[in-house]
Amino acid sequence: MSLLEIDHISKRFGGLLAVNDVTFDVGDGEIVSMIGPNGAGKTTAFNCITGLYPVTSGDVRFDGVSIVGLPPHRITALGITRTFQNIRLFSFMTAVDNVMVGEHSRMHAKVWDAILRTPKARREERAVEGHALTILSGLGLERYADMYARNLPYGFQRRLEIARALASGPRLLLLDEPAAGLNPQEKNELMGVISHLRDEGLTIFLIEHDMRVVMEISDRIVVLDYGEKIAEGSPAEVRNNPRVIEAYLGSGATTQMHTARSTPLRPANPADDEGERPA
Amino acid sequence: MLETPVSPIPADSVDLPATAGQTREVESSAIFWLLAVGGLLLVAMGWFLPWFVEPTANGIGFSPQDVVSSSPTGVGTVLVYVMGAAMLALLAGLVVDAVAVYGHRGRALRYEGARAVLALTGVVCTLAIWVLIGLSHEEPLFGALSASAQTDNAVWMTLTGFAICAFAYGLRPWIIRHTSVSLAGVAFIVGGLVPYIFNQSSDFISWAAGSLAIYTLLGLGLNVVVGFAGLLDLGYAAFFAIGAYTAGSLFGSRHGVHEIPFWVIIFLGAAVAALFGAILGAPTLRLRGDYLAIVTLGFGEIIPDAANNNLFSQTGGPNGISGIDRPGFGHFDFGTDYRYYFWALLILISLVIICMRNLERSRLGRAWVAIREDEVAASATGINTVSGKLLAFAIGASVSGFAGAFYGAELGIVTPEDFRFAVSVTALTIVVLGGIGNITGVAVGAMIVTFLIFWVLPHMTEWSTTVGHTTGITQLSTVPYEQYSFVVYGVMLILIMLLRPAGLLPSRARKVELQTGMESESLAAVRGTV
Repeated sequence: MSLLEIDHISKRFGGLLAVNDVTFDVGDGEIVSMIGPNGAGKTTAFNCITGLYPVTSGDVRFDGVSIVGLPPHRITALGITRTFQNIRLFSFMTAVDNVMVGEHSRMHAKVWDAILRTPKARREERAVEGHALTILSGLGLERYADMYARNLPYGFQRRLEIARALASGPRLLLLDEPAAGLNPQEKNELMGVISHLRDEGLTIFLIEHDMRVVMEISDRIVVLDYGEKIAEGSPAEVRNNPRVIEAYLGSGATTQMHTARSTPLRPANPADDEGERPA
Repeated sequence: MLETPVSPIPADSVDLPATAGQTREVESSAIFWLLAVGGLLLVAMGWFLPWFVEPTANGIGFSPQDVVSSSPTGVGTVLVYVMGAAMLALLAGLVVDAVAVYGHRGRALRYEGARAVLALTGVVCTLAIWVLIGLSHEEPLFGALSASAQTDNAVWMTLTGFAICAFAYGLRPWIIRHTSVSLAGVAFIVGGLVPYIFNQSSDFISWAAGSLAIYTLLGLGLNVVVGFAGLLDLGYAAFFAIGAYTAGSLFGSRHGVHEIPFWVIIFLGAAVAALFGAILGAPTLRLRGDYLAIVTLGFGEIIPDAANNNLFSQTGGPNGISGIDRPGFGHFDFGTDYRYYFWALLILISLVIICMRNLERSRLGRAWVAIREDEVAASATGINTVSGKLLAFAIGASVSGFAGAFYGAELGIVTPEDFRFAVSVTALTIVVLGGIGNITGVAVGAMIVTFLIFWVLPHMTEWSTTVGHTTGITQLSTVPYEQYSFVVYGVMLILIMLLRPAGLLPSRARKVELQTGMESESLAAVRGTV
């Protein structure tokens, strides 16, 4: 059964129809990728799912229940968490505090517990800190636990975002370009992490430009262009879909592509793939 | 080093904060030297001044000299000699150690054990003298020590200074390990002794209880809103007013309610202020930065104006509410003795500080930092930004409600003019000057700001009149110094922004945030619901 159902959603910003009547679903335990040229509406779709943007029309159902109109923190509590394309860690909190923020929705300490530091709150704090450290070690971040998030090496910041997202105990993890800016070695590790998470029962839905990553780990791929879904299917199907090739390389490329099958599909903008590391 | 398959980065390729421990050590020894030197200065002032100043009926009337000369064999004299000897030994030690520390940087102080023994002796003598002075006025103990002299400035300065010094000296390793606890302990003890140290100056005590303590509370409350949650509030005086008016109406002749104890009333004042905090917070949730500041500014103007217009015939118009009862415990009445208000406020401030520190390290405190740093990421991470901000407003306002309730009870009257914009400016200056988000910083900021505005400025006329008389420049006596308070705020804020934009004692995170000029957009703006 599908865990996430996207049912004819549209998102309009004034005159721009950023997401236009898109329908697909993500099955329980699947790894689904969403690809498309820059400006195709991928991140907008993510924001609609996680409640950052209200959808203009259509419905989003998680585990059969409509989540349209819920505030983002409720959606997180229901079991959908995400990472951001441009890393949005809490830069001046330590890594372990970042993960502990992620556990917020699972904690029960009330205002009075916080003010008076009741035994219940202390127990919970200790438990949550322990759990946060476990998550950090699971992702190989334990030695950075007490560093400010902004001082972590870039690749580890990406990983810390995943750690923070995992802390709320999600069933569905949305990753927005998790491989952006990573070197080939780090990309391999990332793929390892993603498959490992899937093996532990998580469903993963990601946006990615790196075709090697996408083709290697995805069970299914959804392709957006100009806000519309132009293709959906297994990596092999999508790779040979004429509309996808056209969207990426322009019309006329299709025939060439068919003659040179082995050429890997690259994104329209190669700079995205390499992704410059921030200083 | 723990290495998992997914973290193949070699250990030396990353700059781990290996120097963090050392930095802490240096900071802590700075606190040690501050305590040691500050304590010695106090001792010196109390001890040596009376030997030079001619005793007068009102001024410094008691000195170690008096004790010794009036009763050479009294117990008090013996204690004074022992204390003096221990003090001189420790002084010598201070010089030796200062030289040693300069000579060999980072080297530990010597004679740790001997110093501890001296310090312990000093503390025991000090306690004994305190107890003797407190319990007994009899001649043999202290020779000429009379009932009026027992509360003399010099004695209390000496004793307090010695206690701090002994504490700093004897327990140096402990202080370095427990920086904040030792600072808080010393601050609490010195604070508690303020009414004794300055007993000759009643307007100093009324300043300490009426301005310093009240504004410390206001600063602590505003720090929750501005410092922890990052919401700029320019109308904070409104909650102060609400607390004061609530308590004033309930506690006094206005409604003839005399049954509810004051200690219940202050909580009612705080609760009503918290409610209004949430009411103000609700419509401003989607605003940040400048926009929020303007709305709160408006709220801060509306409340005193509403009170001025005798809202629902409950606020008494421009005359305010008078005849507020004096608080007390049972049959003991505080009356108009500011010392009791000061002590009560000192305890309240301590409790508030403990609660603030708890909040800072709690689930809610983390949520506030997250909202401040990146509201969008915070909400996507599972934080309810709406309730987080409302709680910041409500908790901040409730502290101000406490302050308001005390303020009304101290003065016996509350009028709209007590809660004008200047109060909000003072509170904000305190937070900004001391260090946004840092509790210790707020306490320090409150001392500096209230000292300048409510002690120095009102006394300037007096001082400059004296100077004018001696120099023959008579114009000096007619300068309206108190009108220049906004000049002082302005100069302070400009200087602090130029020299230390994160405040005197910045919270570490805020310091870096300000350096990098970070401001995240609001969740509402991102969701397009503005």
